Amino acid sequence: MSKPKVGIFGFTGCGGCQLEILNLENYILDLVGAIDIVHFTEAITEHSDNYDIALVEGAITTKHGVERIEKIGNIAKIIVAIGSCACNGGLNCLKDLYGLEKAKELVYGDKKDWIGSIEVKPVDAYVKVDYYARGCPANRFEIVDIIKALIVGKKPEIPNYPVCVECKRNGNTCVYELGMTCMGPVIRAGCNSRCPNSGAGCDGCRGPIDDPNINAEKDLLAEYGLTVEDIMQQFSLYNAYRGKGIKQKIM
Amino acid sequence: MLYKILKKENYTDFVEKLISEYEFIGPKKKDKVFHDFVPIKDLRELDTDYKKTTIAPAKKLLFPPTEELVEYEVGDVIKVKPLVESSEKILFGIDACDINGMNFMDWIFSTEFIDENYFAKRRKLIVIGKDREPSETCFALSMGAEYAKDGFDIFLTELEDRYFLRIATSKGNEITEKFARIQDATDSDFRDYDKFMDDYRSKFKLKINIDNFYDDFEFIYSNEKYWEEASKNCYSCGSCNLVCPTCFCFNVKDDMQLNLKVGNKMREWDSCMIPEYGLVAGGHNFRPTKENRLKQRYRCKLKTFVDKYGKYACVGCGRCIEACLAKINIVEDVNSVKKEVSA
Repeated sequence: MSKPKVGIFGFTGCGGCQLEILNLENYILDLVGAIDIVHFTEAITEHSDNYDIALVEGAITTKHGVERIEKIGNIAKIIVAIGSCACNGGLNCLKDLYGLEKAKELVYGDKKDWIGSIEVKPVDAYVKVDYYARGCPANRFEIVDIIKALIVGKKPEIPNYPVCVECKRNGNTCVYELGMTCMGPVIRAGCNSRCPNSGAGCDGCRGPIDDPNINAEKDLLAEYGLTVEDIMQQFSLYNAYRGKGIKQKIM
Repeated sequence: MLYKILKKENYTDFVEKLISEYEFIGPKKKDKVFHDFVPIKDLRELDTDYKKTTIAPAKKLLFPPTEELVEYEVGDVIKVKPLVESSEKILFGIDACDINGMNFMDWIFSTEFIDENYFAKRRKLIVIGKDREPSETCFALSMGAEYAKDGFDIFLTELEDRYFLRIATSKGNEITEKFARIQDATDSDFRDYDKFMDDYRSKFKLKINIDNFYDDFEFIYSNEKYWEEASKNCYSCGSCNLVCPTCFCFNVKDDMQLNLKVGNKMREWDSCMIPEYGLVAGGHNFRPTKENRLKQRYRCKLKTFVDKYGKYACVGCGRCIEACLAKINIVEDVNSVKKEVSA
């Protein structure tokens, strides 16, 4: 693919993943040299509906959002979801733990019917997503790696191993040994174990690996005095949408 | 081998001189759990009596977790430049078992080809070993790795009021001549050293029944129940491989810059316990399950290497036991094979 046309779109989220692209700083000129950005919600006013690759940030939480993502799905040849919200629904899904109507009432009171909020879903609930740059925020260098791979026609290498691999490469003492808990053993690496590097447990922002050993994690956390409810609460911070299936498995 | 004595009152002076003269790597307390081999600038940072094994083995100095191998530029002419980094360093306070781990690496990286990136660093590494109490999970005695015959320049053994020095290389001799006040070892020093070694060996409480494992492995090879039970809680996280002083597998990655002209090839520590390790082009995976992978790890370490090269790929340091959150324990698993076979 020679100099592809790329659209960068924002849906429901904090906008931090688009900001991560702007935060490429020293690499940003190389990036705009390698791709032709025709839409960038957070950074440019120009807009074109002619693009090959769509980088999509944010979760789909409104009817209008559904229409927009379906339109992007019809135009883009390749869709890359960037960030926890786009990949897994992210923090937004916490809303649905209250029940949609209850949540609307809590926030908007008697004006709740003015709001077109729907159940939160990740991008791939509506359109086919080809690649995922996970994390909260997404790792900007992973976004660049995916773009480079697409330009040269390779399959992007996204880790499907737990955070523990990166912790060991980085020489971190296991967070459990330091007396804390961590979702790392079942969560996908690729963040360079950034939370454990700072002495904090993994909150699971990149979502689970393809085949997580949920029962082992349940046993392990139980050893630290946590119940299934506690575990699901910790896991739900970023993964409430995907967590539904997992909850059925372990309850 | 030269045998010398360094009196305890002269030890501090010797080590301080080495710290000021060389790039000096030694064990330092990292946190409440682990020590780590890191650069030492001040003698007070050095702590050679660490109770657990260091978090990463010394292989990280010679075969770093990630390492750039070559730099390239694509154009009318393709330019390739090898990146080989090395500088003279002292590695101080490594125990015998870890030296044997490093000896294994020396051997693996020179058996079928010479790995220049590894040996550029190894040739410039001055190794000063020192005994320490075996940690709870260490079974080095059963693996015959509790004593280092070679692989060091100097090895210090602490006797009551003095250190017994084994000096194995001319470099080691040069350093002790220059920086230490030493004297020749006498008969009584040798007697005390032998007595120390007897005591030392008696401190290895954890034993692995390795002797018959080579044959017994065949009995459990197809025993699905055994492998299912052993790997039940395995996270496929690779921690056991990544902390192992003899695991040498690496993955080579291509990192091209956005200009699509310049890039480098780098390698990173890999692990046979993660699913992608057995994945090949076309999508087939030779070891798709955690049962397959644990079997592969034990087989590689304790059988395949014996078949191919006549030695175990394990020195019994016990890091894999310490690192495993799922409590998978190579000693218990090997010993339980023994019971199953005799039952």
